[in-house]
Amino acid sequence: MTLSTTNRAVRTVGDRLRRPVVRSGMPASTKLLGYALVAPIVIIMAVVIAFPLVSAVTTSLQNQHVIGSPADFVGVDTYAKLLQDDAFWAALGRSGIWLLLNMIVQTLLAFATALLLQRNGWWSTSARTWIMLPWAVPTVAVAVIWQWMLNSNYGVVYKIFAGVGIDLGAPFANGAFSLITVILVNSWHWFPLSAVVIYGALATVPNEVIEAATMDGANAWRSFWAITFPLLQRVLFALGLVGSLWSFNVLDSIYLTTKGGPAGASTTMPVYIYDTAFSAFRSSEAAAASVVTVIVLAIAGMLFFRFGRPKEY
Amino acid sequence: MKTLNGENHMRSRAIAAGVLALATVLALGACSAPSSDSRPNKQIVLWHMENTPSRVKVFQALADRYNATNPTHTVKIQVQDWGQIYTKIAAAAQSGKQPDILFAIPDFTTYVRGLGLGQPVTDVVNRVQATSGLVAASTAPYTDAGESWAVPLYGMVQMLWYRADLLRAAGVQPPKTWSELLAATKKLTSGNTSGIALPAGKNLATDQVLYSLMITGGAANFFTKDNKIAIDNSKTVAAFDLYAQLLAFSPKDSGNYSWPEPQAAFTSGAAAMAIEKGQYLAPFEAESGRPASDLGCAPIPVADNGGMPGSIYYSNGAMVLSKDKSTKDGAAKFLEWILDPKQYGDFLNAEPGLFLPITKNGGTESNWRQNPTISTYKTCVDAMLKQADTGTLFGFVDGQYVKSIGQISGQNFLAQAVQQMYVNGQTPTQAVTWIQKQMQDAISK
Repeated sequence: MTLSTTNRAVRTVGDRLRRPVVRSGMPASTKLLGYALVAPIVIIMAVVIAFPLVSAVTTSLQNQHVIGSPADFVGVDTYAKLLQDDAFWAALGRSGIWLLLNMIVQTLLAFATALLLQRNGWWSTSARTWIMLPWAVPTVAVAVIWQWMLNSNYGVVYKIFAGVGIDLGAPFANGAFSLITVILVNSWHWFPLSAVVIYGALATVPNEVIEAATMDGANAWRSFWAITFPLLQRVLFALGLVGSLWSFNVLDSIYLTTKGGPAGASTTMPVYIYDTAFSAFRSSEAAAASVVTVIVLAIAGMLFFRFGRPKEY
Repeated sequence: MKTLNGENHMRSRAIAAGVLALATVLALGACSAPSSDSRPNKQIVLWHMENTPSRVKVFQALADRYNATNPTHTVKIQVQDWGQIYTKIAAAAQSGKQPDILFAIPDFTTYVRGLGLGQPVTDVVNRVQATSGLVAASTAPYTDAGESWAVPLYGMVQMLWYRADLLRAAGVQPPKTWSELLAATKKLTSGNTSGIALPAGKNLATDQVLYSLMITGGAANFFTKDNKIAIDNSKTVAAFDLYAQLLAFSPKDSGNYSWPEPQAAFTSGAAAMAIEKGQYLAPFEAESGRPASDLGCAPIPVADNGGMPGSIYYSNGAMVLSKDKSTKDGAAKFLEWILDPKQYGDFLNAEPGLFLPITKNGGTESNWRQNPTISTYKTCVDAMLKQADTGTLFGFVDGQYVKSIGQISGQNFLAQAVQQMYVNGQTPTQAVTWIQKQMQDAISK
């Protein structure tokens, strides 16, 4: 006996989720009203997205120093200079590590939390509320809290570890650990959002399919991989795509804890761009780095869409 | 009936569409319309970046007091943020909406002047000099081509702060030289106490402490006469070497320290010494739970060979940006009013201990002297005033005026060099060679 009953049920649920909305013929006035209703937001979005993009591209083709100061057109010279900067490539590499590790850590934490929240009991019921706390805390407070908790003189976490004989050293001040420390802090801050989204998606998995699988003899592990996980793929895909883009662009968590240090060890691309623009006053190089970043993110997004998209079942 | 309903329905849809389209046009119009300058003719707009609540309150109270005297120009204060002021003033310069008075520090002044803003205030400075006398270190970094480009308002200077109780217990005398400082630091380090707490993060705090030691080691001037970088020399290497040695006795997470962490370590007794400005005075008793007599101070220790007394000195001033003669005169009157002994003490009390007078008679101003922090720590306050006489700032040493200093100070190269030693294990010689190249690259780009 295989999982044939379960597979049929999964297909039925999948079909139901994918079923397109049937459009009826609409009168012209209805269509016009539809366009009018979306027009304001479309126009505003176009302006607020297009203007900064055009401005960034224009600035990147100049030799502007202080933002807003007069500058000359220099073509792609700024890009040539940028691509020869070792710090740029190092920052891009760190951003790749940042993106990957944040995605892995947050997904694992979020999935584990969502599965725990799904259980019955007073703990999971109350946790559905307070589990959101790290996400609700402002990033500035998160940065300060963790800096104090890991401080070698009076940090609670530091002292607890010291109490059991583990010397944490200086997590934010050690070149080998600062990036991973900020990744863990950032993941702690953001995983509740993913956990709640996954928890919500878990609630949509029909019980009858799980029951059918159980009747077919599937254990919990098999049910998860054969039923729950495939049904969550769309949510996970969307979460992965949006979350990755958000994560890549994180500046505040890093800047507030390490400022990209020590010695550049946690300088990701947003930190590099910020420092280039506002500390080194090389606006055009910062704009060029932004444009390159947008291109890299667009390519990464397309690859993610091409290879990470859930397969039809 | 059905037709009528249908027509009404269509009409209401058309009206809704029209209203939405109109709202869109109005909204976009509002976005694109240039904002009108609603400033009254006889009003001076002042931007300052001292956004600590106590400072905001005192500055506003003083502006209100000035406005109550029925001046020709009233003063309107707009509080800004140091983190955003560079871009904000550049945008203001472009749009012609700059403030009439802008608070500044010396390297920021070179930046603002680079934007084409700033009027000479030599006449104001001369008048204040004649009536009240000015500390030389306060005016020097604002003097270029024979003109003064900002009216100095208050100074900040660094000292060596020490926990007298901890030094007594260890039988250590306050150090006067680099070798004494190093020996004291070693002796004071025991158990959970570090001999000294130093910043080594990539920030201005690290720049400032290292630079104070460079000054007392005779390496204050790292520019040639034609403003080229000349930091790669034996005196700078010696100062870097001292800093690296001291960091070995500083708390292990010093690599991420800025201003608050060394102060917290110092007041909690986790560190016995620190080098900083006068912000240590006011909160000491409350935060440490120790009597005021346990807070000791001394001049920054000097190098054993060829050392000289000194400290980094930040002269905080006000630039006048308005080109209009009447507004410029109004701004000058307000700044001179602030420096008048009748209210100058109240102005300095915005941050007692940190804000030091830049006028000779400001040091005896009763409102300031009567402040509890100033009177409690009179000895240290007087020591800071004395230290101010030998204070200086990079880019403005011995009459220098390096216009590219903003590009160097903004990137915290001194702090980055400290991190090269502290984190990447470079030797002082390597770190100084590294910083020479970084600074050269920065001003050549």
